[in-house]
Amino acid sequence: MTMTTDKDNPDSGLLRRWVQYAIENPRRVYRVLFYVAIVFFMVTTLFPFYWLFVLALTPEGQLLGGGYLPDIELFGLSTTFPLPVPQGFNPEAFIAVFEQLPFHLYMLNSFVLAISTTVIVLVIASLAGYVFGRLEFAGRVPLMLAILAISYFPPAAFVVPLFEAFTGNTPIVIPFTEIPLFTPPRLLNTPGAMVMPFSAIFMPLSIFILTTFYAQIPDGLEDAARVEGTTRFGALFRVIMPLSAPGVATAAVLTFISVYNEYFFSSIMATSPDAANWSPIVGGILSFQTQYTTQYNLMAAASIVAVLPVVILVLIAQERIVSGLTAGALKE
Amino acid sequence: MARVKLEHVTKRYDDGESGVVAVDDMNMDINHGEFICLVGPSGCGKSTTMETIAGLTQPSEGEIYIGERDVTDLPPKDRGVAMVFQNIALFPHMDVYDNISFGLRLRDYPQDEIDRRVERAADIVQLEGMLDRMPDEMSGGQRQRVAIARAIVREPDVFLMDEPLANLDAKLRVHMRTELQRLHKKLDTTIIYVTHDQAEAMTMSDRIAVLDTGELQQIDPPLVCYNEPANLFVAGFIGSPSMNFLNGTVDDGGVETEHFYVKFDPAAVDDLAIGDQVTIGVRPENVHPATKTNEIAYPSAPINARTDVLEPMGDEIFAYLLMGEGNTSMAQETASSDQLLMSIDPDSPIQADDNIQVVLDRERMHLFHGESGDALTHNLVASTDIEATDTRVGSD
Repeated sequence: MTMTTDKDNPDSGLLRRWVQYAIENPRRVYRVLFYVAIVFFMVTTLFPFYWLFVLALTPEGQLLGGGYLPDIELFGLSTTFPLPVPQGFNPEAFIAVFEQLPFHLYMLNSFVLAISTTVIVLVIASLAGYVFGRLEFAGRVPLMLAILAISYFPPAAFVVPLFEAFTGNTPIVIPFTEIPLFTPPRLLNTPGAMVMPFSAIFMPLSIFILTTFYAQIPDGLEDAARVEGTTRFGALFRVIMPLSAPGVATAAVLTFISVYNEYFFSSIMATSPDAANWSPIVGGILSFQTQYTTQYNLMAAASIVAVLPVVILVLIAQERIVSGLTAGALKE
Repeated sequence: MARVKLEHVTKRYDDGESGVVAVDDMNMDINHGEFICLVGPSGCGKSTTMETIAGLTQPSEGEIYIGERDVTDLPPKDRGVAMVFQNIALFPHMDVYDNISFGLRLRDYPQDEIDRRVERAADIVQLEGMLDRMPDEMSGGQRQRVAIARAIVREPDVFLMDEPLANLDAKLRVHMRTELQRLHKKLDTTIIYVTHDQAEAMTMSDRIAVLDTGELQQIDPPLVCYNEPANLFVAGFIGSPSMNFLNGTVDDGGVETEHFYVKFDPAAVDDLAIGDQVTIGVRPENVHPATKTNEIAYPSAPINARTDVLEPMGDEIFAYLLMGEGNTSMAQETASSDQLLMSIDPDSPIQADDNIQVVLDRERMHLFHGESGDALTHNLVASTDIEATDTRVGSD
């Protein structure tokens, strides 16, 4: 009995000492928890990406063979390697992606759609943000709420009427009547059929972001610019926008990435997943899957290639955002 | 020639039901090269007046002329004005050179012309060698000088300055005040300057425009505003500490207040009848101890008072006197309080809680109409002379 008590005491003493230590140094505990959280997020976000690499490098014939978790000998112990490893080494997949399909054209499509949408959104949202953020007028709040409310509509709600309009077969009529207004041009399989709805759908968020940023620019700076020789319009683009660079960058990056990743609208507005029909990246990736075969390795390689530009963009934009914030740009 | 003229300028802000009149039927004629200060308490419309001249605010009624042009409907950029703002308003994302040259670059001046002008402006405000600094790397005074350089580099017809020194510390403010006067001499441009600091207004301007509740009260050279205020408001606003005001009733030989009687001839003053309510105004430096009666040409009868608080300022002492029961009023400018403020020599033997006698210099006493507050006379003695002339004219 005495022995066990003696043996227990140091143990409970150890636990108690550890708890005591944690209470006295909460920062250490927070830091540990912080690393736990970071590791968790890294694993959940990076593991799929790693899995894409593994698939992309595995030759097509080995894809369905299994054995991604090999047994290894480690210091005489036989154990299972904790991460999947490629079944072979086939970097040609990254080239085959561009050979089997004009994947670069799909990427170009996505880029053109994303950039043109971003430009349109930034210009219009800047004007709207200026008006909402810097001018007083009756009905400002209801109008802003209406714009935000529209952004909550599911995009699917717009697809059918827009598709019908963009086919250009029947004239647009006044609702509930047969009176025709105009017949739209046929826009299916053109960038117009995608850029227009994208701009409309992603506009409210940018308006909201830019409104809050533009509202913070002191009136004196705009007045100074106007006295110095700009119009209100000139002051917006020469003074207010540059000073709101972090906000503009945020709106631009969010819009760009949203359009770059978009598939729902483009899959419908491009009547077939053809690069010539302005089908975007996702359309291209899915084209590696035919009725009889699914080239998982090519799909994985294509996905990685498609992700890289966005990663680079975010890295650049992040630097811009951080520099914009640290420069104390808003300090007068 | 850049003469600035405001004709019946009115600015109304319509907040639904209750419209606020910020500027009410303002008429002003400012000559070329003149340095005009707009002064007044907060919310008197001086900044709004400035903004309407700059074109940042559109007047509800009235016309504005700069030079011979009607600029009422022109945007700010086409008015030939430059402005220095209270919050300095340098563009934080541009360095000093870009800030100063902003207006020139917008107007597509050739590069060598821009360089030459920026160089010269920087030279005038002593900013050499700082052209590549960012605004947030500069001190308040330096930024202020950049703002002034940005204004002068365009060689405008009119300078507008909206409390440009308000955000500077006291020492720098006095320094910049001198600099601005020097600058005005050098540039010979019309300057319209908004301030609520009357020391700035008194020292710098050719004429002061005193504004209250959106209306122009008086526009005159500083000493005229000081010595001959047009009404009660100007009298109370110009001068620090403020003029003493005492309510009284006119009888046939003078004016009777609660605590004393001052002799003058009411018939000599226009628009004044016996029995009228008036407000007497007398500045602290025109209240003297009775011992100095013989130094004053036209003293009033001695007034009994008790010293309440003494405020030694170094070169003079402000003595707060109480008359009669000696009820102190918290509101300093309330007329007919029992309080009287006197400025005395620092070596005066007067102590706190002394019972003393004081006299008022009747040559420097003002009478204001009891209701409208308009000035009736600025000299109770001279009016007697005028009265004498008047009677002579009348008897002829």
